[in-house]
Amino acid sequence: MIKTSNLIKTYNEVTVLNIENLEIPKGQSFGLVGNNGAGKTTYFSLLLDLIQPTTGSIKSKDVLVSESEDWKPFTSAFIDESFLIGYLTAEEYFYFIGELRGQNKQDVDALLAQFEDFFHDEILNKKKYLRDLSKGNQKKAGIVAALIGNPEVIILDEPFANLDPTTQIRLKGIIKDLAQTKGVTVLVSSHDLLHVTDVCERIVVLEKGEVIKDLATNPETLKELEAHFSGVAEV
Amino acid sequence: MFKKFLSLEWKQFRRASYFKKGLAIKILMAFIVLYFGGIALAFGAGVFFIAKKAIPDVDPIETVNKFLIFWFLFDLLFRYFMQQLPVMNVKPLMVIPIKRSTVIHFLLGKTSISFFNILPLFIFIPFSIVMLFHGYPVLNVLGWFVSVVAITLCLNFTNFLVNKNNVVFYSILTVLAVFVGLEYYNIFKISEPIGNAFNVLYNNPYIAILPIGILVLLYKATFNFIKKGFYLDDAVSKKVKEVNATDLSWLNRFGSVAPFIKNDVKLIWRNVRPKQVMMMSFMFLFYGLFFFTQDTYREMPALLAFASMFITGGFLISFGQLVPSWDSEYYKMLMSQNIPYKQYLESKWYLMVFAVIISFILATPYIYFGWDIYAMIAAGAVFNVGLNSFITLFGGALNRVPIELNVKAKAFSNTNGFNPVQLLISLPKVFLPMILFYIPYKLIGFNAGLITIALSGVLGIVFRKYIFNFIVNVYKKGKYKTIAAFSEKK
Repeated sequence: MIKTSNLIKTYNEVTVLNIENLEIPKGQSFGLVGNNGAGKTTYFSLLLDLIQPTTGSIKSKDVLVSESEDWKPFTSAFIDESFLIGYLTAEEYFYFIGELRGQNKQDVDALLAQFEDFFHDEILNKKKYLRDLSKGNQKKAGIVAALIGNPEVIILDEPFANLDPTTQIRLKGIIKDLAQTKGVTVLVSSHDLLHVTDVCERIVVLEKGEVIKDLATNPETLKELEAHFSGVAEV
Repeated sequence: MFKKFLSLEWKQFRRASYFKKGLAIKILMAFIVLYFGGIALAFGAGVFFIAKKAIPDVDPIETVNKFLIFWFLFDLLFRYFMQQLPVMNVKPLMVIPIKRSTVIHFLLGKTSISFFNILPLFIFIPFSIVMLFHGYPVLNVLGWFVSVVAITLCLNFTNFLVNKNNVVFYSILTVLAVFVGLEYYNIFKISEPIGNAFNVLYNNPYIAILPIGILVLLYKATFNFIKKGFYLDDAVSKKVKEVNATDLSWLNRFGSVAPFIKNDVKLIWRNVRPKQVMMMSFMFLFYGLFFFTQDTYREMPALLAFASMFITGGFLISFGQLVPSWDSEYYKMLMSQNIPYKQYLESKWYLMVFAVIISFILATPYIYFGWDIYAMIAAGAVFNVGLNSFITLFGGALNRVPIELNVKAKAFSNTNGFNPVQLLISLPKVFLPMILFYIPYKLIGFNAGLITIALSGVLGIVFRKYIFNFIVNVYKKGKYKTIAAFSEKK
């Protein structure tokens, strides 16, 4: 589904990302972990063509991301609050995204109905602008907006941060369901090792922009990751 | 403690983003500051002579006193509109072991050295000096000067107390309008009693105690007001108003552009900054009054062409030059969505056209100055719709300044409009209508000039498809640069 080859991103001669080869098959739930500055968000931004690769390329479903825009209809993302439109209410925002993705009001409503649990009655009909919601609730709105329009690739940067425990657990259920039953490719980055190992079939560890581990998740993975990161901390 | 605060302020000032701009802009800014400062100084020094010349048999100080009331009302209005209150910076200081009162005193002190309080000094100091040179008694001039400054500071704190209140703003606006109207038609001259009051004050300098007393009281009131609100959930955090989602589905008739138009309407309606722009553009409507009322300009129809363009172009220019900056807060999201730039731009264009039409309707009273003037305004409107809109959108595409939507623009610290490209782009906006008018006017006649202006607009409308494509390419080329610039922290 997503094929990364010889991808390098440098800022002022400092290489922040260097991925020789990384292939993510369709329907995989893919986890990206790494300390601050490891290049997770950079990679996601390159995937969304928000920044330009210095060399190399990413192909999403055989579309060259930096050349064509044809990847947009089947890709959606929530990276940070700058993906929200602060002066809209949650509903207005969902409908706006829906309109951009060719969904009418009924389609969006039907989708939202599935996430009543996840919203926990804190998002819809609140008569509040998104900018006035708490960080956690903003995130909830952003994540659900990324599910509108049946995307085949969903990119979520740090989706678990700022969420309350109940919502974290529900989000895990949602991500698993997307990948396993709907065949959606989900890319998640996180600092929370427990959550990623729970959710993702495959985990890639980035360090200083390079892939240093590529693991298929098994019961031992969490321990391995913890050992790895505590080792990093000691060095 | 105050010293620490001062050093913080100094850092904030020196490290502010507008000092990191290029040298050219710094020079330009310095120029502008000097220019306006110079104008204020010259005006302050000149007022005495102007007053003397205008009404020779009245003492200039009395003439000035008469108009002070309008000055102060206008001052208050201007402040309400533009002055930013520094309450927001309090948050990081709340948990630090400093006495609350120290912080508040500092805050209030800080507001009193704002631009709005310094500008009047630029006018009143030279005026007072000129008076002294003309042999007015020192004590009286001093008393008068101190009172005027005290009143200015009173306005400063009054603004603090009423700033959140729209009712006050509109009442002041109404009061000002009513007074001006009554004055103009000689029904009731508010300037007489107030002027007399100031005369009394001038003749008895010890009365200066009165404004100073009021100032002290207002300071205390403001102090208490802030002290009471010095909690996170009060003054510092913004009030969250309950909102009612507006149904704009009737805009769906615009087809594929509809989602953007609906969004843009909300953008303007729900955010402080665009609202400010809207109010400002309303002022542009009156721009013609400067020109049409004076006979000297009647002889220079090219200048009138320029003024006519401005009357209907206020919103177009001030809103349009900040496309796409209006969407800077969520630009990354837009860029990851499958949005056609063309529809995005078209939506903004429709808004601008709509604003031109509204302005044109509101400009109907200009018929008073003659049908030729009105025809000129109409020609200007067509020029705005068909050509100026595109020039402005093109300029906007090169203007990559992030905007905080829900924050008032600061007077004179806002360099959003000042980048060299922007300036270059604004040249044709000013000169094009003049040239388009002047050449055919000289060669053929007045009407030929008008037709040329209008025709240029019609051409723009006819070829808008090509022009849109051209601007879209500018957007595509600058995509990464724009995203990077918009995600920069202010």
